[in-house]
Amino acid sequence: MEVGFLGLGIMGKAMSINLIRSGFKLTVWNRTLSKCDELVELGASIGETPAAVVKKCNYTIAMLSDPSVALSVVFDKDGVLEQICHGKGYIDMSTVGADTSSKISEAITSKGGSFLEAPVSGSKKPAEDGQLVILAAGEKALYDEAIPAFDIMGKKSFFLGQVGNGAKMKLVVNMIMGSMMNAFSEGLVLADRSGLNPHTLLDVLDLGGIANPMFRLKGPTMIQNNYSPAFPLKHQQKDMRLALALGDENAVSMPVAAAANEAFKKARSLGLGDLDFSAVYETVKTLEHSS
Amino acid sequence: MAMCSSFCPPQVPNHFRGTTPIPSFLPKPPSFKAFSSQTATASTKDEFPARVGFLGLGIMGSPMAQNLIKSGCDVTVWNRTKSKCDPLISLGAKYKSSPEEVAASCDVTFAMLADPESAVDVACGKHGAASGIGPGKGYVDVSTVDGATSKLIGEHIKATGALFLEAPVSGSKKPAEDGQLIFLTGGDKSLYETVAPLLDIMGKSRFFLGSVGNGAAMKLVVNMVMGSMMASFSEGLLLGEKVGLDPDVIVEVISQGAISAPMFSMKGPSMVKSVYPTAFPLKHQQKDLRLALGLAESVSQPTPIAAAANELYKVAKSHGLSDHDFSAVIEALKVKMQDPPEY
Repeated sequence: MEVGFLGLGIMGKAMSINLIRSGFKLTVWNRTLSKCDELVELGASIGETPAAVVKKCNYTIAMLSDPSVALSVVFDKDGVLEQICHGKGYIDMSTVGADTSSKISEAITSKGGSFLEAPVSGSKKPAEDGQLVILAAGEKALYDEAIPAFDIMGKKSFFLGQVGNGAKMKLVVNMIMGSMMNAFSEGLVLADRSGLNPHTLLDVLDLGGIANPMFRLKGPTMIQNNYSPAFPLKHQQKDMRLALALGDENAVSMPVAAAANEAFKKARSLGLGDLDFSAVYETVKTLEHSS
Repeated sequence: MAMCSSFCPPQVPNHFRGTTPIPSFLPKPPSFKAFSSQTATASTKDEFPARVGFLGLGIMGSPMAQNLIKSGCDVTVWNRTKSKCDPLISLGAKYKSSPEEVAASCDVTFAMLADPESAVDVACGKHGAASGIGPGKGYVDVSTVDGATSKLIGEHIKATGALFLEAPVSGSKKPAEDGQLIFLTGGDKSLYETVAPLLDIMGKSRFFLGSVGNGAAMKLVVNMVMGSMMASFSEGLLLGEKVGLDPDVIVEVISQGAISAPMFSMKGPSMVKSVYPTAFPLKHQQKDLRLALGLAESVSQPTPIAAAANELYKVAKSHGLSDHDFSAVIEALKVKMQDPPEY
């Protein structure tokens, strides 16, 4: 059985490597073809286009950076739609929001294919370690077929019902995460400005009810101003924007998320978009000097 | 925690004592045998506080004082509402009718009050602790107050010749009951070292952070982050529910990932059911946010997330939720608020 994989960025590369190492027969595609080299060395075949990959494979996984790329891979010339048909599945693990996911789902299913959205919670390291949390929704039969692959790539999978639910769950989680990163940054700066040792703050936080892996992992690197990207800030801001849009559509009050989004926007305007999302710390630090 | 028969013998002095910065994890004594041999050779009656006072027996003070009594300490209590002293008295505590008398009759007096006003009143007011305390004695204020209040109390106490330690705690009702609090102290180092065995009874770790004000600041920073996190979590639960997700599944998904925190797992399920049993009253969380915003202002730091969160707690207070758990802030985001549930 052939499985396709479109998109070999920070996430896709780590996920597909785990699949190949576990014995999956993989056909891969990436917009910049050279990114496929490492996979080819491990035994993957290359597809020249998304359509070529879909043609070969029982189901195809996609891991793309944002809604516009996710749509283009499906709808453009040589895209997924040209070869999707009955008996083939398309699993989009990108984080794109419910609207984009629905659009893709409709297009796929109207050609007879089956569709599953399956965005993930977890960034680079969990992807490398096969410890992602997979938030799937859509065609249950395709979910069942994909479980062996999900079990390799992740530590837990959820089937959340109709298309849109996976996307929404991902946005809710990342909205909270973005706000938490901002709250954490405010705390680190306030500790520092009050004459406290930020490392001591990390120690105290790690002992109590608000201890969490993100603080534990990112705290030390933030204090050192090291923002090597596990989750690019521009993608975090994209997720906040999508979550706020969802709140907007449903008239849900979200003042903290709105404030957090502003901080991420500011960070992007300062040129920090490609750094890890923890670089929003720089924004919180420099607010004093912005005048 | 090992129990001991005589009054409050010190626990095994951990090897972190006296050094700064103090690493976070302080292990409990490894064996009773080691504990009692330490007791035999360790400090004499002069070196650790024989008579301990405790002012303020609310949600936190009562279990903290109980843990001291259960460990064999000689404890004298006072509370504004006397009836709150009865459970402690039946466990063996003595009672005095004013903070002044408690401080006068004890070597070290702890105070656990709800807010800056009460803390100042108990320490410096009429028949306050400062009137009864003096040289050779110590005052440990474990209330959460702003730095200026702490310094004010400290000055009044030290003017009598006594020593002063601010020691606000991280942890709410259950950690207080379980002796799992985290002490964030500042002030007289020698008093810190004297009361360390008592802190080890009531808590799982302690930090000495330097001068008065540093403990208060650390506590406010921690609770600022916590208050923002709870507000954000509330936004997520409500958004998810509104768009058709099962909020219990949201809680489960969060518990699997990078932002999994004990607070979310513990409070999430009850928030989903709209019940808010009080471990940490919402009014105190809002007080802490207000004080944290004040601290931030004093160092010219904008804190938009904390400010947005603070507004939500204020809304919740205005709807009668002050005495519910701070997780009731989720109600502030709802279009149609529940009638404040019984708690």
